[in-house]
Amino acid sequence: MVGLSLGEKHFIQGGIAQDLRSDARKRLTYRPIYVETGVIPQANGSAAVKMGATEVIASVKAELGKPTSLHPDKGKVAIFVDCSPTAAPAFEGRGGEELSAELSTSLQQCLLGGKSGAGAGIDLSSLSVVEGKICWDLYIDCLVVSTDGNLLDALGAAIKAALSNTGIPRVQVAAGATGDEQPEVDISDEEFLQFDTSGVPVIITLTQVGKHYIVDATAEEESQMSSAISVSVNRHGRICGMTKRGGAGLDPSVILDMISVAKFVSEQLIIKLDSEISAAEAREEE
Amino acid sequence: MRGLQISLNQTQKIRFDRALEKLESLSSKSNSNAAVTVADSIPVNFEDGVLKGHGTSERDGEIVATLCGVVERVNKLVYVRTLRARYKPETGDIIVGRVIEVAPKRWRLEINYSQDAVLMLSSMNLPDGIQRRRTAVDELNMRSIFEENDVICAEVRGFQHDGNLQLQARSQKYGKLERGQLLTIPPYLVKRRKQHFHHLEKYGIDLVLGCNGFIWVGEHVEAKDNMVEDQMSKSEQQSSVSSLNEQEHNYIPLETRQSICRTANAVRVLSVLGFNISVEVITQTVELSSSLNIDIHDMLGAEFYVLVAEAEADRRSLLTKKK
Repeated sequence: MVGLSLGEKHFIQGGIAQDLRSDARKRLTYRPIYVETGVIPQANGSAAVKMGATEVIASVKAELGKPTSLHPDKGKVAIFVDCSPTAAPAFEGRGGEELSAELSTSLQQCLLGGKSGAGAGIDLSSLSVVEGKICWDLYIDCLVVSTDGNLLDALGAAIKAALSNTGIPRVQVAAGATGDEQPEVDISDEEFLQFDTSGVPVIITLTQVGKHYIVDATAEEESQMSSAISVSVNRHGRICGMTKRGGAGLDPSVILDMISVAKFVSEQLIIKLDSEISAAEAREEE
Repeated sequence: MRGLQISLNQTQKIRFDRALEKLESLSSKSNSNAAVTVADSIPVNFEDGVLKGHGTSERDGEIVATLCGVVERVNKLVYVRTLRARYKPETGDIIVGRVIEVAPKRWRLEINYSQDAVLMLSSMNLPDGIQRRRTAVDELNMRSIFEENDVICAEVRGFQHDGNLQLQARSQKYGKLERGQLLTIPPYLVKRRKQHFHHLEKYGIDLVLGCNGFIWVGEHVEAKDNMVEDQMSKSEQQSSVSSLNEQEHNYIPLETRQSICRTANAVRVLSVLGFNISVEVITQTVELSSSLNIDIHDMLGAEFYVLVAEAEADRRSLLTKKK
């Protein structure tokens, strides 16, 4: 990230204070979002999302596995993020590992809820095939191709789009399996079940610069932030997860205010994302 | 165009393709014999004594292009110049750069070139305006003139014998650029003109088109007289630590900011579409957007891209008709 001169920083802060950012967005306006689905044909589902200059790709692969003994009726989902060196010179070699780990943890917290599996945005019970014995494991891998701020929102949108593009193969379980035996399964190559993504939340990141919050910060605006809160909100306006970044401490009333702003913004973002995802799938079919 | 990732609906796509076709048909009439792609053979008049430059190679006795670009001939040298090449500085170019290092007696600037440019302390006017020899005290006070990450406008003085690029900023119009935003566009879109500093009086903003692809759009700043500046800078230093409230009063007025954002978005749209950037095109685009009452943020939407492409096609067809 190139540094900014004092004059430029002043310009950015003034813009946010006057509700007219560098590209004339309002504080709560997102950059144009462009979604492309089916970019990785070998995966069960994939999507590429572009928010301004930020570009991420998400892919979903489904494999059969054994559910954990704590939750025999639920499948498993693992989310990994990889920051590609093409995004920034700092990501070369092991430089991007810290950011990748932080993004993976944040995504897991926002989409999968806590360790007990409670409050997960993704419905894990729908991934169960045979209770206690077989379940689907979803491996969601994300790649950051180019970064211009607001990675978490773009990754959340990409995961939502990839999941709506995911087809889980139909599984025929051989009847008559007893006790501890592994039942035989026949994975169909033809029939696919679309994953139900109506409950998948979107992630909204609110960045605080000076006295105001902005949504969808560019890299320049993020360099001026004092703190940021990422909230994942689902279609019904319920909060599925939250992360706070940044060194400045926040008053609890400020956090509650930011959450209500995030809830307000999420309504428009969900509508926008859904229309973009359906437009992308229509384009893919052409 | 590379990477036009805007979702256009059906009618917009048709209009856009039609505008692009019109532009292509207008441009292909001229210079068609100069453009080559890989493995095209380059016609040369004299087979003996021709120097093969960059982007060419010899194959079966004739000269063949290895790059896509335009053929340039200089005496006996024949080479292929690519269109999207890195910025190539020439003496007298006006460029906008960012200070990345304060070194002994010089500043190093990043100017979107393969190396960093050097601005010597002696090529810069001192704050008190007196022409004198730079002393050690001047050297220690270099940071009070330019610091790291400052955006500076300067002129290319030339290349040193060791290959370094030297800049000079002696005139009043060069110097630090504050109160605005810096945009980066591909350098080949900025053609060399007589004037690169533009003061758009109607909007009250300064527009600096750097030949290296850095464009500065900011609030208009009067070129200050050095004597007056010395007295003012003393009083500024006393109140340099300003509280948040004072800073708020210093923010750029909303109308000027709107003009800055409108111009910046016009430059962004033109650079994505790959049109040459010049003051006339920028002002026309800004006037187009304000005459159609397009919200500044909507200038980055699909509809405006199509409108700009159509306007450019009309403009160029008018130019060719005049010829």
